[in-house]
Amino acid sequence: MNRFFAILERDLRKFIRNPLVVAMSLLMPIIYLVILGNSFQGELKNLPLAVVDLDSGPGSDRVLELLRSVEAGPRTIEVRVVSDQGFALQGLREGVFKGVLVIPADFSRNIIRKSTAELGLYLDNAETISASALRASIASGLPELKNEFISIREERAAAKLREIELYRKIDYDQTLIPGVVIMAIFLGAMTTGAFNIVMDKFLGVEESYFLTPLTKTDIVMGLIASGLFITTILALVVLFFGSLISGLYIWDAMSAAAFSLMVVVIILSTLGLQGLMFIIMGRINHPRIVGVLGGFLNVIMFFPSGAIYPIESFPGWLKAFAFVNPETYSVHAMRALLFKGVGLEAVQFDLIFLAAFAVFAVALGLVVFKRAL
Amino acid sequence: MPAVEIKELVKRYGTLTALDRVSFSIEEGECFGLLGPNGAGKTTLIRILTTLLKPTSGNALVMGNDAVSDPKAVRSAIGVVPQAMTSDLDLTGFETMDIYARFYGLSRNERKGRIDEILSLVELKERAGDLVATYSGGMRRRLEIARGLVHRPGILILDEPTIGLDPQSRHVVWELLEKFRKADRLTILLTTHYMEEAESLCDRVAIIDYGKIVALDTVPGLKKAIPQKDTVELTVSGIDMVKAVERFKAMPKIVQASCSDESIFLSSERGAEIVAESVEAIKSMGGRVSRVTLKEQTLEDVFIHYTGRPIREEEARKVSFLLGAGVPTKWGR
Repeated sequence: MNRFFAILERDLRKFIRNPLVVAMSLLMPIIYLVILGNSFQGELKNLPLAVVDLDSGPGSDRVLELLRSVEAGPRTIEVRVVSDQGFALQGLREGVFKGVLVIPADFSRNIIRKSTAELGLYLDNAETISASALRASIASGLPELKNEFISIREERAAAKLREIELYRKIDYDQTLIPGVVIMAIFLGAMTTGAFNIVMDKFLGVEESYFLTPLTKTDIVMGLIASGLFITTILALVVLFFGSLISGLYIWDAMSAAAFSLMVVVIILSTLGLQGLMFIIMGRINHPRIVGVLGGFLNVIMFFPSGAIYPIESFPGWLKAFAFVNPETYSVHAMRALLFKGVGLEAVQFDLIFLAAFAVFAVALGLVVFKRAL
Repeated sequence: MPAVEIKELVKRYGTLTALDRVSFSIEEGECFGLLGPNGAGKTTLIRILTTLLKPTSGNALVMGNDAVSDPKAVRSAIGVVPQAMTSDLDLTGFETMDIYARFYGLSRNERKGRIDEILSLVELKERAGDLVATYSGGMRRRLEIARGLVHRPGILILDEPTIGLDPQSRHVVWELLEKFRKADRLTILLTTHYMEEAESLCDRVAIIDYGKIVALDTVPGLKKAIPQKDTVELTVSGIDMVKAVERFKAMPKIVQASCSDESIFLSSERGAEIVAESVEAIKSMGGRVSRVTLKEQTLEDVFIHYTGRPIREEEARKVSFLLGAGVPTKWGR
């Protein structure tokens, strides 16, 4: 036990003596939350829309007026009135505008005649997300015109939805919190524990440890314990700041019991990932390989975990992967505990999976790790 | 019981034979040197003795324990100073010692006394609270020697203990090793490619080349066995050179004598002793000596005799195809 604690102490001391590593481990997931939460928002804003008014009649005035109200209200679009249709389309191709709405010369006349009055909408369909947002926003901005027998080419039938929210209102950046916490756990697990062996090997320091009576179990368990300790604290700090930044105050959102379960989820997830890192890095001896592997592993574990996009929408093969991905269960459990105010029964399957994965990964990590040069 | 007993040790990496049937033993309290150029197999041998590598065949007993079948007992019984500087830069000197003492299972009370004692012996007590990152190369080496001795092992194994150190630090390390050896009857096994180091520290030296022991004896014994002797060169004037040479050849301590236009060359096993005599002899013949040079026979001569080349030929650095030169060379060969 003394040897195990000596390894643990050595590792913790080394960690706190590198303040930059501590700062980076904390800042990265938090910055991730801020960037992802603000760039990946549900709604798009300020999409530039060129309006070419070839009509200049009462009908086109009405269209412009409605568009301006969308511009002033939800701010989805930014209206720029352009006189030359060719110039507007060129701008669309060059990406200056995301869409061009053409009001034909006979628009007002057609309205007065009560015949079909059409508007032309050109969209930059190379950018599907902004194209569909523009289409939806123009369609919703012109319902009154629709009543006046105006159809928009390209418009799609939109079913009216009345949204009923099961849980209290959750902002998009709040829904990212479980993902950010699991990312903190991933980064923590990757840069502690097994990584120290890689670093020691790279610096040639590991030789002096292997020369002592330390056993393989002392080394692996000592490093996992220190990694677990550091990562759990990191994850809790990230959870705290994440909730502060996104305005979801965990002390309001979670009961003491739910919070304790949250800590259990964090610990089990960390243990599993620590073991996984030992399996993967147990025989690597250059930190650059870890850098490359880390980015890759993060993508293949984080994105299919359901942290930012629902698993239900994945194709079958990816769904199958998500099914064995431990981060899926961590995210599911954390989301349930954070937003749904549920108890043990709702997350027990996640806990069982995470515990089983942790035992499996640590055991295999021990087998794979070679106590030799 | 010998401290180290090696029998027919072989280590192959693929087709490369790093150690080729090496056998020798080291007595307790002895300082034994393994001398050889880079890549001769010294580090491989040390790594087998310290349980980091398994030999392809053969036996190695260290302090009575088999390095292959009972590595844990060997690790507890030996102190090792590896070739590379292996101290954690983020720890202080004291923390390094404390953590290693715990690896060896020393209790809290034992640790306190022992760490203080050994850090003052290597003259690092004042700096014990500073990070190792602030230590000079010589201080780090001293810390590593202290680290290797923290659990009072019977044998200290050092792989190139003074490589990369400045001459002054090198002498400090030598003095330290002498001190520990006298105080604790410590057995020392060291590898080196510095002749001076082997000559000043070692009772016996084994010359290793291409994985084979080519000579093993005390330093005087090794020197005696080779034909190259000490040489005295006298620059003289005012005498008949040929006659002088004939007279020198008759002197008992002189093995060989020859001359050029201005100089006389004398070869002897004890060069220093014949300097005065030869100057006197020339004076008695009516000549004048303007310069005397004594070139003593060195272990280098011994090395060249057995291997056919000087020891300082450095091998090109090994470069990994996949990872480039940033990889520390894992084994000497």
